[in-house]
Amino acid sequence: MIELFNLSKRFGNLNAVHSLSFTVRKGEIFGLIGENGAGKTTTLRMLATMLSPTSGTAVLSGYDIVKEPEKVRGKVGILFGGESGLYDRLTVAENIRYFGELNDISIDEINERTKMLADTFGMNDFLHKRAGKLSKGMRQKAAFARAIIHNPDILLLDEPTTGLDVSAIREVQNFILEQKRQGKTVLFSSHTMSEIEKLCDRIAIIHKGKLVAIGTIDELRQQNQNLSLEELFVRLVGEEHEA
Amino acid sequence: MKLKHIWIVFNKELKDIVRDKKTLFSSILAPIIIIPILMTIVGGSTQKMTQEMYEDITVALTKNSDTESARNFLNSLAELDENIIVADPVDDPWQAINDKEVKLVIELENGFEEKLKNSEPINLTLIYDNSLARSGGAVGTFQATIDRLNTALAVEKLNALGINPDILSLVNVERQNIARTKDGNQFLMMILPMMIALLVAVGGIPAATDLVAGEKERMTLEPLLTTRSSRMSILIGKYLTINLFSFASVISTLAGMVLAYVINPAALSLGQGEIGGFSVEPLAFVLSLLITLLMGMTFSGIQLAISTYARSFKEGQTYLSLLIFAVMIPAYSTMMIMPNDIQPHMFVLPIMNTISAFKLILGGVVNYAELVMATISSIVYVILALLLAAWMFSKEKFMFRS
Repeated sequence: MIELFNLSKRFGNLNAVHSLSFTVRKGEIFGLIGENGAGKTTTLRMLATMLSPTSGTAVLSGYDIVKEPEKVRGKVGILFGGESGLYDRLTVAENIRYFGELNDISIDEINERTKMLADTFGMNDFLHKRAGKLSKGMRQKAAFARAIIHNPDILLLDEPTTGLDVSAIREVQNFILEQKRQGKTVLFSSHTMSEIEKLCDRIAIIHKGKLVAIGTIDELRQQNQNLSLEELFVRLVGEEHEA
Repeated sequence: MKLKHIWIVFNKELKDIVRDKKTLFSSILAPIIIIPILMTIVGGSTQKMTQEMYEDITVALTKNSDTESARNFLNSLAELDENIIVADPVDDPWQAINDKEVKLVIELENGFEEKLKNSEPINLTLIYDNSLARSGGAVGTFQATIDRLNTALAVEKLNALGINPDILSLVNVERQNIARTKDGNQFLMMILPMMIALLVAVGGIPAATDLVAGEKERMTLEPLLTTRSSRMSILIGKYLTINLFSFASVISTLAGMVLAYVINPAALSLGQGEIGGFSVEPLAFVLSLLITLLMGMTFSGIQLAISTYARSFKEGQTYLSLLIFAVMIPAYSTMMIMPNDIQPHMFVLPIMNTISAFKLILGGVVNYAELVMATISSIVYVILALLLAAWMFSKEKFMFRS
């Protein structure tokens, strides 16, 4: 579970994230929607403890991001971009092992989970090949495995399908759904409305760092004359623009 | 901060960089291969140039002064110095010298032989081209032969007059060189400390650029920062890797120099004389090495801080390449200073303290107070550089600068 309590971040005079408060329930896929610069990445970076909040806090799996950042990191897996976070000169197995070791997983457990993840994602043929020599699709699978080697409760995904082709997008979406089936909590940001509609149990729309709307897609549509999600988004963000 | 995490990061970075052929070649292999080749070529050509200045000094008369007595005069000089070779008279001295036919051209005044017989001074015009080392450098050797001829003529005259020719040199100078080291060492004292300082300062740059700025560009830094490892552990792991590469590049350069020495002993001093006869106290040598290591550690910290500030690999490369100028200024300003001329304050100034310590060792002058001063100041700089890197690594505005 993820709970945000007036989470705020200022960069100089800019209020990048302003007093965000909402809860992401355990085992749900939660979409964070907003225009470029709305504060999605900053929010995810704060939840991943990369950035410190200016005020407010968040609690992930019972750990406070301000008071217990190390414990939070042990519970979180991140994927910022579709195939990011791989070292080209290391093999897939070495990449996975590196992140496993830095998350304090024992070597035996790393080996066991690597084998399991290799089977799950079909990586056995290229597990011992250098990441830099792999195709985009293979790298993407390796990035998934790298993100969840420590079996995190929560996955934070920042626009994980941006720049990917259709089949790669499907891989990401299947990965997200599989994580949900395994009881993980997934918080991800996206621009693509169809993707949000397909995957998310609930969504939050943020604009200029502020929460504009939150709920299931159906709830939000009912509150707004059954508009499509895209129209709904434009209307809500537009209202904010006018305000 | 956990030692285990530091070790994991260090191990990974080491493996990663060792697999990077470009970094490995430029930091480790290139110095071992290039330095012996460079020094052998430069040393060989310097030696050849020195030989040309002192040996096979081809001398010719101008056509105007080509007489039998003039030829005899030149032949008498050749008898005095076996390095002088008499060539055929030339029309155009500049052309002959530049066509490498001769090194020097002589013009003798008419009737010089009569004047010499009467013990009257004669005019000999020595034509040479100072822009050519083989011609300008030969002047000294030729002049020394003329001096010997003058002395011989004077002795002959004094003997004829029944005067003891010893009056020509009443004060005999006997030279005694008490230098403990060989001539080439002086050259080494100028070049080696400067080279080591430069190498220590730049050796870690390829690794430093890759380890933070490179990670930012490849988007691997963010996942790394969300592991359970603390930022300080990640930083120290990376810092140790940069240090290792900095030291490895110095060691490979020194290995290259040793190889150059094995191939041709004179190559190391670039033909400036033999090298050897060092007498270094072990403790002083250890302190100098320690000071050098500390300088490397200081630069690794600075490089890490700069790499943290950079937004991309290319930006990191640009900023880090400027570091070389920061080293070149103190390195060149102290190049000509000899061990006994080093001022005490130089042992506490960054970079200069390392150069000064090495000059002491190479010069066989050991002053432990100064070496300790250099060691303590170096430790302070290491701490400051590391604090700067740690501070920048902890700051969001540098880590996520866009």
